[in-house]
Amino acid sequence: MSAHAILITGANGGIGNATARYFLEHDESCYVYLGIRSGRNEADALAADFPERCGVLSLDVTKAAEWESSLAKVAAEDRVITVLVNNAGHHDDHLMANMPLEAFSSVIESNLNSVFLGSQAVLRGMMGERFGRIINISSLSALLAPLGQTNYAAAKAGVIAMTGSLAKEVARMSITVNAICPGYIETSAIETGDPEQAKARKKTIPMRRFGKPREVAAAVFFLATKDAAYITGATLKIDGGIF
Amino acid sequence: MSESSALHEEIKEILIDDLMLDVEMDEIGDETPLMGPDSLGLDSVDALQLVVAIEKKFGLKISDPEAAKGILRSVKTIADAVRESKST
Repeated sequence: MSAHAILITGANGGIGNATARYFLEHDESCYVYLGIRSGRNEADALAADFPERCGVLSLDVTKAAEWESSLAKVAAEDRVITVLVNNAGHHDDHLMANMPLEAFSSVIESNLNSVFLGSQAVLRGMMGERFGRIINISSLSALLAPLGQTNYAAAKAGVIAMTGSLAKEVARMSITVNAICPGYIETSAIETGDPEQAKARKKTIPMRRFGKPREVAAAVFFLATKDAAYITGATLKIDGGIF
Repeated sequence: MSESSALHEEIKEILIDDLMLDVEMDEIGDETPLMGPDSLGLDSVDALQLVVAIEKKFGLKISDPEAAKGILRSVKTIADAVRESKST
């Protein structure tokens, strides 16, 4: 019997890395794979902190062949992915009138196609185990639909719809599928931005502060537990009360 | 119990335990249709689960959808396919 393992995509920084660390710190029996495409300093540092329980997979989430090879590596290590956190993605904001097709397509690919490819890749293994947790990191943008993000908002809204639909397909196999919509979270993208803009943004948040990656990680961790077995198809927003 | 009826029972156990069909073992005939009219009422999700369970339990991989239609007709057709895969 293969040992259960967790795969978190986009795990080099921000929410992905914090989520991986949270799992490693709160469940001593878990093994965590960090899926990363480029820039691996933080992923390597985390893997070095937990050398027996954490490994790095080179994974471009938009390519089916890379999912296949990554999961072959996991299987070769006698493990099966029973928790998948689809976190990888990027945004490339433009007003639609000026948005290059490439900016639209690449955002849809990295945020939405990736969730399809990743979920499809792990489903059979989860079905065989009769246990699985898929947690999709959507975004508050899916609900707020901000200007300049027609691509990103559409992709993340697609993730929410896909979550609900897949949840129904696999519910009877004890596999749950849920989405999380983080609002403004203290990640490098926010920290390196204009401080005045950050200050103005905080005023729009009822809690008057940005969220911490760890506060998203804690919710992901709970949704991955056996105790969360009856929660599926849900969308949880973590936004300090904005929406 | 013959080897053949033991295999039939194992398949029925999959139907009851893995697919959580609310029926008793003796209510499932060897040739009772699994899908369609006057059947056990399996749907496409059940069929997918059944394919995965058969692969896990018997090592029989059913990747061709047309072949799956033939194999997943009844307990007997599944048992025939399992036996055939073991003999080759």
